[in-house]
Amino acid sequence: MRPGVGARLRAEPALALAIAILWVLIALFIVYPIAMLLARVFVEDGHFTLTGIAAVLTDRHQVVAFWNSLLLGTLVGVIGTAFGFIFAFAATRCRLSPTLIRLIDVAVLLPLVSPPFTMAIGYIFSFGARGLITYDLLGIKGAGVYGMTSTMTAEAATYFPIAYLALRPMIAAIDSNIEGMALSLGASRWRVFRTVTLPLCIPGLANSFLLLFAASLADFATPLILAGNQFPVLPTQAFLQITGLFDLRGGAALSLMLLVPALLVFVAQRYWVGRGHYVTVTGKGAGQAPFDSVTPVARWTLVSLCVAVTLFIVYLYVLLLYASLVVAFGANEAFTLQHYRVVFTEGLRVLGDTLIIAAIATPLGGFYGVLLGYLVARKRFVGRTTMEITSMVNYALPGTIVGIGYLIAFNDPPIVLAGGALIIIACYVFRYGATGIRTTIAMMQQLDRSLEEASESLGASSSTTFRRVTLPLILPAFFAGLGVMFIRSMTAISATIFVVSLSWTLVTVKILENMTELALGVAAAFSVVVVAIVFIVIFAIGRVLRRLRAAGASAVTGLLAT
Amino acid sequence: MKAGAHDAIGVSADRLSKRFTHAVKGEVYAARDVTIDVAPGEFLTLLGPSGCGKTTALRMIAGFEIPDGGRVVFGGQDVTLLPANQRGIGFVFQNYALFPHLSVFENVAYGLRVRGQAGGAIGTAVSDVLKLVGLAGYESQFPAQMSGGEQQRVALARAIVIRPRVLLFDEPLSNLDAKLRVEMRHEIRALQQRLAITTVYVTHDQEEAMAISDRIAVMQGGTIVQTGSAEDLYHRPATRFVAQFIGRANLIDARVHDAADGRIAVDALGHRFLLAHPRAGMAGGGNPRLLLRPEAISLAKVVGKTDELVGAVVSRSFLGEKIEYVVECAGEQLQVVRYNAGPDDLLPVQAKVALHFADDVAILVWDDEPKGHS
Ligand SMILES: Nc1ncnc2c1ncn2[C@@H]1O[C@H](COP(=O)(O)OP(=O)(O)OP(=O)(O)O)[C@@H](O)[C@H]1O
Ligand SMILES: [Mg+2]
Repeated sequence: MRPGVGARLRAEPALALAIAILWVLIALFIVYPIAMLLARVFVEDGHFTLTGIAAVLTDRHQVVAFWNSLLLGTLVGVIGTAFGFIFAFAATRCRLSPTLIRLIDVAVLLPLVSPPFTMAIGYIFSFGARGLITYDLLGIKGAGVYGMTSTMTAEAATYFPIAYLALRPMIAAIDSNIEGMALSLGASRWRVFRTVTLPLCIPGLANSFLLLFAASLADFATPLILAGNQFPVLPTQAFLQITGLFDLRGGAALSLMLLVPALLVFVAQRYWVGRGHYVTVTGKGAGQAPFDSVTPVARWTLVSLCVAVTLFIVYLYVLLLYASLVVAFGANEAFTLQHYRVVFTEGLRVLGDTLIIAAIATPLGGFYGVLLGYLVARKRFVGRTTMEITSMVNYALPGTIVGIGYLIAFNDPPIVLAGGALIIIACYVFRYGATGIRTTIAMMQQLDRSLEEASESLGASSSTTFRRVTLPLILPAFFAGLGVMFIRSMTAISATIFVVSLSWTLVTVKILENMTELALGVAAAFSVVVVAIVFIVIFAIGRVLRRLRAAGASAVTGLLAT
Repeated sequence: MKAGAHDAIGVSADRLSKRFTHAVKGEVYAARDVTIDVAPGEFLTLLGPSGCGKTTALRMIAGFEIPDGGRVVFGGQDVTLLPANQRGIGFVFQNYALFPHLSVFENVAYGLRVRGQAGGAIGTAVSDVLKLVGLAGYESQFPAQMSGGEQQRVALARAIVIRPRVLLFDEPLSNLDAKLRVEMRHEIRALQQRLAITTVYVTHDQEEAMAISDRIAVMQGGTIVQTGSAEDLYHRPATRFVAQFIGRANLIDARVHDAADGRIAVDALGHRFLLAHPRAGMAGGGNPRLLLRPEAISLAKVVGKTDELVGAVVSRSFLGEKIEYVVECAGEQLQVVRYNAGPDDLLPVQAKVALHFADDVAILVWDDEPKGHS
C-alpha cells in the first residue's frame, strides 16, 4: 500500500464502509461456503484427510462420470462453437435480410432464457419412446432416447447460442476491407477465409469453446433428464449422492472433481484468451460485408444450415407448447387447459415464491454488481484485484459446487439460513451479480475518468460522485445486469436446487418434480409460462435500454453469453 | 462573483515526486522534485513538451494523485494527503469533462448543490457566472449540443462558481481551433485577474504560456528547469533546452575565453566577441553555445570592413508582415527575421549580406543548468 491510501480512506468514511461491507459479504457468501465445502471433504475429526477424495477416485462408477463430464464438455464445446461460428459468420458475412437475422436471433435466444430442462423436455417429446419423430413418424417402438448422443445434442442446441452471441460481434469487428483487400490481391474466397478470416477468429473460437465447455460441465438439468443410467456425469452424480443417498460428504467430494476443470477454464479465460476481451452485442455489431465474402453455393449451404437448426429449435418449442395444451402428449391429444389450471392454482405458490425471490434478488444483485464493479474499476484500496477475482468465483464455479457449499455452510450454526428465502437470494446475488460486475467494469473503462475527477474537484465525496455522476452514466450496465439477474433468478437450478426448502421453492425445481412424476404436460405448461414472463421482462428492459441508449450499452441477451 | 485579492492564497509544491510503473521501461519518474511557489493571486504556467510531467504535477496539486514524495501547501496548510474534494480547487480539464447527462445549468450548479446551498442562491450564482462567461440563456442546453468553445466556457463557469481558492487548468484550450484559442486565453486571463484566484495552468504551447502567465515554469523530463517571467525565459534561458523551447533560437558553436572587467571573450562564427551579459560568466555542463534570437540579427549591405560578419542568403519565406531568411555564415545556418519595410525590401537568395547584432543580446547557454544558479 502506498503511503496516503489509508489516509484517503479515512477521509472518505462512506468509501471505506462500502469496501468493508463488500468484503464481509464476499467472505460470508463466496469464501465461507467454498471453505466449508473443502473442509467437509478434506477435514475429519480436525485432521486433514484425503479419504473423502480417495473414496470418489477409487469408485469406478464415479471416475467414469468424471471422464464422461469431460468428454461431454469437449464435444459440446466443439460442436456448439462450430454451429455458433456458422451462425455468426452467416449473420455478418452472407448478406442475410435483417428480418431473417432478427428471426434467427429470437429463436436462438429461446434456449438461453428458458428453464434449463425445456430443450430436454422438447427432445423427449420428439425423440422419446412416444416421440413425434421416433414413434409417430418412424414407428419405432420403445426408442431409447437416453444416453450421450441425446444429452450432447440437447446441450449443444441449448448452448451454441452462447457461441453465436460471443462470436458475432467479433466477426463483425473484423474489418471486411481486410478480406476485400486479400480478395483483390487475387486470393480465392476460400483462401481468404482460411488465411485471413479464420485466423483472426481463433481467440474468439477458443473463448467460445471454453464458455461452452464450462456450461456443459456445469449443466445439471439436461443430463438429469436425458443421460439415463448409461451415461453418468458429475453434476447429476453429486446431486443423486446427496438427495438419493443423503451422503453430503460424498456429494461434496464429487462436486470438487468438477473444480479442477472449472478452475482450468477460469484461468485459461482470464489469462489467455480473456485478456481484456469483452463481448457486447450492440445493434451496430452485425455489420454487413460490402462485398460477397462467400460464393453463392457456400452462401446457400450456410443459410440452409442456419435455417434448419433454427427450425429445429423452434420445432422443439412448438412441441413443448403443444404438449402443454393437450391432455397427454403421445397418448391423448385432446385440447385442454388443465395443465395451465394446475400452474395457476397449485403452482401459484411456487410461481409466487419464484417471482418474490427474483424481485428481491434482481435489484440487490444489480446494485451489488454496479457497486463492486465501480469500486474495483476506479478506487484504489488494498486487495482490489483480490476482490475482483473473488467476486467471480461463484459465477465461474459450476452451480453444483456453489449449491452444495451453501447447503453445508448455512445448514448448521453459526449461520443458519437453510429453509429461508435469504439463502436462495444470496445464492443468486453472489452468483449472477458477477455479470453486472463485468459489464460495469467494461463500461467504466470506457467512461472518461475526468468526469469523476471533475465531480471530486467540485467538492463531491466519493459516494456523491458515484450517485450523481457515475451511476447515471452506467445505468445501461445496471439495467442489463438487472435483466440477467432476473432471467437467471427465473431459470436457474443447478445451485439453487440444493437450497430450496418446503417453505421456499422455485419453478425450476417444480418442473423437475413434475418431470419425475411424469406430469409432462404440467412441466411443459410451467416452462411456457416462465419463457413468457422472461420474454416480457427482456422486452421491457430492452425498451429502457433503448431509451438510455448510451455508448457501450449492451443488450441483456448479449450478457448471457459471457 | 467578487473575490478580493485578500482571499487569495499562495500555493506551493515542495519537491513533489511521482513514479509510475511503465510496461517497458519499469519504474519511471513522471515528476521529480517539482518545486513551485505561486504567490496569492498569481498566474503560473507549467510549460513543457508532451510527456514531461506537467499533468502529473498538476494532478498532485489538485489531489487526484498522491505524491510518492514531497508536499503540497495551500495557504500555509499542508494538503498533501487531503482528497481533491476537500481542497477547494476548481479544475478545468482538456476534454472539458462536462457531465453529459446534466444540462448546462445543472453542470454549473453541481458544485453548489454538493455544498448544500439553497436553491435560490444557486439560481442567482449560476446565472451570474454564465453571464460572466458569455453563456447567458444556455441554461437548458446539454453539453452534446454545444460547440467546443461553448463547452469550455461551461467548464470554466463550473470551476469558478464555487469560488475555488485555487484554479487549475490542464491544457484547456488544446481542443479548440487556433483563433478561438487566442480569444479564450484572453478571457481566461481577464477572468483570473478579475477574480484574483491563484492559478496554475498547464500547456505545451509556449506562445499561450507567454501571453497568459505572470510566471512560467519550464519542465523537462519530469523536472522544472527554469521558472521566471516570459522575458526572463526568453532573454535569459538557463539551459539550451529552454532557449530552444521558448521562441526560436540560433545556437552557435562557441569557444569561451576568460576576459577582464566583467566581460568574457567568445569565439564563434570565425570572430571573437566580447559578451556583456553577466549570465555569460557562468558555465554549466556540455559545450557552450552562443544564443542569438532571429530578430536580434540585422542584415545589411556588405561594406568590406575587416571585422564584418559576412553571410549568404540560403532561402527566404515571405510571410507578409515579416520575412524569414536562412543565412549561411561561417558554416552555420542562421535564422533571421526581418520586418517587412516595403515592396523593395526583399533580399534575393544567394545575396551576400553583413550580419549585425548588439553584444548585449547574445548570451551563452549550456546543455545543463549552470551550478549555483536558480
Ligand atoms: N497513470 C500513469 N501510469 C503510468 N505512467 C504514467 C501515468 N500518468 C503519466 N504517466 C507517464 O508519466 C509521464 C508524464 O506524463 P504526463 O501526463 O504528466 O505528461 P504531460 O507533460 O502532461 O504530457 P502531455 O503534454 O502529453 O499531456 C509520461 O511518460 C507518462 O507516460
Ligand atoms: Mg498532459
